[in-house]
Amino acid sequence: MRLICLILMFMASIIFAEKNHDSHEHHGHTVHQNDVYVDGKKFKLDKERFDEFKKNLRDVQVAIINVQGMVCDFCARGIEKAFLKDTKVKKIDVDLENGKVVIAYSLNKKIEFKEIKEKILMNGQNATDYKLMKI
Amino acid sequence: MASLYSQARSISYPEGFTLMSHSDIYKDSVYFHYSPSFKYSVGLEVAKDDYFDDEYSFFRFTYLLNRKNTQNSQSNLYFQSGLDPENFDRHFYGLHGDWETRRWFVGFGYKESFNDFEDFSEKYLQFGIAPYLGKYGDLHTWLMFKTKKNSLGDSWSTYPVIKFFKGDFLIELGYNNKTRTDAHLMYRF
Repeated sequence: MRLICLILMFMASIIFAEKNHDSHEHHGHTVHQNDVYVDGKKFKLDKERFDEFKKNLRDVQVAIINVQGMVCDFCARGIEKAFLKDTKVKKIDVDLENGKVVIAYSLNKKIEFKEIKEKILMNGQNATDYKLMKI
Repeated sequence: MASLYSQARSISYPEGFTLMSHSDIYKDSVYFHYSPSFKYSVGLEVAKDDYFDDEYSFFRFTYLLNRKNTQNSQSNLYFQSGLDPENFDRHFYGLHGDWETRRWFVGFGYKESFNDFEDFSEKYLQFGIAPYLGKYGDLHTWLMFKTKKNSLGDSWSTYPVIKFFKGDFLIELGYNNKTRTDAHLMYRF
């Protein structure tokens, strides 16, 4: 019983610490997020992460996809594997924190949201919307 | 005695293979499964049963009955079953489910098992928290509590579990006075 109480207290302290950590970080975080623009609209992404993704990419179309149900690395791994089978996919990044999948396609790929949705659904998650941009 | 361990991550991503091993006071086993789609998996479990002093195997089938995805969570309900190809009297079936965010985990399960010695049931509840949120590819850690009851035993057994998860590997360790160490290893490919 004593062990259970100790562990519960330990877990509670972690939650408390994490909440404080989050609230301190939020100001900084907003600077990095919400500042990627697609067709003049803000799109919630980690800017540093997106900049890293774009590095060395030229003449590609980038699809930024909102995905529901992506809660762990196994979901991410499945999505990554599914898209990398397509030879027109040049690069993929899965952002678990923001529930986004970012895919760079070659310019000769005709991108259809229906196909993207199906691929993600085949993996057990749901794509809700997407944005397309050219680099 | 069939254990409850392999209910976690019971189906892989499409065309994925999973190799699991488990060891506790009741049995040691290896379970290999293949998922043609995210809806189901088929596999073979080979076990050395220390409780009934027996060795056997199960052809196993797991089916995803329901999944609900939201922006920050996923919940699942699975049907699972197993049949000994050399002795059809030895089989099991059950349900298990989970609700998971990147921070929280809640799981439950119920299973009925049949054999030549004594039929039994198992049930469990599991709660977990991730002390930090890693990015894709990082080492992920879960601190969990599991409480389970086997009808062959006389009471619920509650114990802490720690889970580490990186890339294709997962290791889960639990310990309590009654069931001693629960060790679960998993590799997915």
